[in-house]
Amino acid sequence: MTRQERTAWGFVLPVLAIILFVFALPTLLALALSVTDYSIYALADWGALRFVGLGNFTGLLTTPLFWRALGNTALFALLGVPMAIGTSLAAALLLHDASVRWKPLWRVLLFAPYVTSVVATAVVWRFLLNTRFGLLNRALGWIGVPPVDWLGDPHASIPAILLFVTWKIFGYNMIVFTAALSAVPHDLMEAARLDGASRWTRFRHVTLPAIGPTLLLAAVMSVAGFLQIFAEPYVMTLGGPAQSTTTVLYFMFDEGFKWWNLGQASAVAFILFLMILALTFAQARIGRRYEWL
Amino acid sequence: MTYGGKLARAAGWSRRSVVAALSMAAAGGCAARRSPDTISLWAMSYEGDYSPMLMPGFTRATGVPVEVQTLPWTAAHEKLLTAQAGDSLPDVFMLPDGWVGEFALIGALAPVTDPALLTGLFPGVSAATGPDGRPYAVPWSVAPQVQYYRRDLLERAGYAAPPEDWDSWRRMGQRLKARAPDDYAFLMLLNWWDSLFTFAGQTGANPLRERDTRGNFRDPRFRDALAFYVSLFRERLAPPALSTEVQDPVAAFAQGYFAVYPYGPTLTLDLHRRAAEIPAALWSTARMPGPQGPGRVSGIAASLCVSARSRRPAAAWALVRHLTSPASELTYQRLIGTLPARAAAWATPQLRQPALAAFAEQMRAPTREPMIVEWERIRIEVQLIAERVVRGQLGIDAALVAMDDRVDRLLAKRRALVEAGRLT
Repeated sequence: MTRQERTAWGFVLPVLAIILFVFALPTLLALALSVTDYSIYALADWGALRFVGLGNFTGLLTTPLFWRALGNTALFALLGVPMAIGTSLAAALLLHDASVRWKPLWRVLLFAPYVTSVVATAVVWRFLLNTRFGLLNRALGWIGVPPVDWLGDPHASIPAILLFVTWKIFGYNMIVFTAALSAVPHDLMEAARLDGASRWTRFRHVTLPAIGPTLLLAAVMSVAGFLQIFAEPYVMTLGGPAQSTTTVLYFMFDEGFKWWNLGQASAVAFILFLMILALTFAQARIGRRYEWL
Repeated sequence: MTYGGKLARAAGWSRRSVVAALSMAAAGGCAARRSPDTISLWAMSYEGDYSPMLMPGFTRATGVPVEVQTLPWTAAHEKLLTAQAGDSLPDVFMLPDGWVGEFALIGALAPVTDPALLTGLFPGVSAATGPDGRPYAVPWSVAPQVQYYRRDLLERAGYAAPPEDWDSWRRMGQRLKARAPDDYAFLMLLNWWDSLFTFAGQTGANPLRERDTRGNFRDPRFRDALAFYVSLFRERLAPPALSTEVQDPVAAFAQGYFAVYPYGPTLTLDLHRRAAEIPAALWSTARMPGPQGPGRVSGIAASLCVSARSRRPAAAWALVRHLTSPASELTYQRLIGTLPARAAAWATPQLRQPALAAFAEQMRAPTREPMIVEWERIRIEVQLIAERVVRGQLGIDAALVAMDDRVDRLLAKRRALVEAGRLT
């Protein structure tokens, strides 16, 4: 080993060790837990622990709530990712326009929700979404829409939480997109304009390819984020009404930390891990096809 | 470029200053570290918030300082479980009776060895036991569910007090609803199981069978209770609302959004505090109605337990003795409205308020709850299925089958252990 290599290992090893201890090892342990029936009885007495093989996984497949949680999570991701990224991109494009003044101020204001506490903002949003005296229903009333039971109707609860989540997180990607937009070549834009390209054509053929990699990154992160959505339903609805906002992670939290069925909870964690891995892989493939990566 | 550089520098600076501030805070925290003979107490909600007011007397008498921490009810169960798994339980903590069996099973609790702690209890109140049948908790307060009602609204509907049997009670609801169609007669939050299990307890239904290893929800008596519960929502006598939706039930009660609110004794404190909104003359309490008149109701009694791994068990038991003394329980009653578990406290004039009479009567008729690990979860999951019936997603008979199925699955591990003779 040359001296240079030794130095390199010296730099890399601490990080590798951390990854091993806080990522690889817990993952392996969780995998080991997921093939046992570790429950509160095992906490009382290790003798009650049994090896159940794939029992937890097959058990999950016959648990209706697990499927409902999967469906809810999919709905969160399907609706939430376009909503959040679309809002971020729209806000970034608006702020990028040369005619906008006080840009730093706008950026700070729009970024602010991202750094506020989920619990505090959720309390405010619960008031906004209140059926009887919420501002949102009052505003809808002015345009003649009857009051919506946002957090009490199983069909409205996911959209209601998504409104809150989008408001909360769009600022982050907005800043990322702002950075990407400033890297779009000016001369290319000018040339397209001189060739008579419309606003939409310029966006589609000049801006979009330039910010493509950033968009892909934002999509990957958002999908992973939405698949792991937990805090928002936990503070807004406690998974209700009628478990319509119970997500996979919420289900896992309940099983694992509330009821101490760590065996089953680990099985859920493992399934979630595989899902996110597969989706990220698929997104990377799509990105490569369009030569964004 | 320059902008980015500035940003990075700014970020670096702030990060450094944050780190500095944090380490300073940590150092400060270390300096103010509690003395080694301090014992710790965890209690939920108001009990936790107000416990510090009872501590000076204890510390004066024994010289032991006490550190109190409040837990929210919604997160208490998981917080206590993780604390046991992580060996960081406090010396003394509060548990609702339904959790005592569970925490005794996992070895978190020390058994009550001093019989004096368990004497002089209010009739009907008894110490919660563990799987081995020994007492593991000292009863502290009792909270049976009663109904709070608006006297003025009921009077306008022609009632001096709420009727005592289900059918007349529902008829009163219909009359109230007819007088104010935009408001409701009852408030029973859909994610709380207490009202459903109150009704079920009054029918005398046994929720579990075969040594508590299987669900018994298809019992016709439980069916009656569920059907009655659901009918109140179907007839729009109660709003299908979750606890997260009704942010301020006291204000809603004061506004007359609903006329009857089944709840425990702590609501009396909120009502007294907000007498400006709802004067004491406007409300009163009565026992919950039963199928043919009031019956047995499960009281969510709070107990105090001592951790099996407490390093200062003598001081911990002394604190339990102090907190469960009639004098402390009366102080609590005055401060936060909880009802004493000691009979001696009930003999004082302080508890002879008319609003407390319903509680005293109800406390004499408690139901016996299954003392098993899964009971807390069973109640929550049964309520989830009941919520789906209320929302019209499930029929009553399908729901009862679903309840039994679900409960049988939850009890699978227990069943295996009982059959193997490792549990009773």
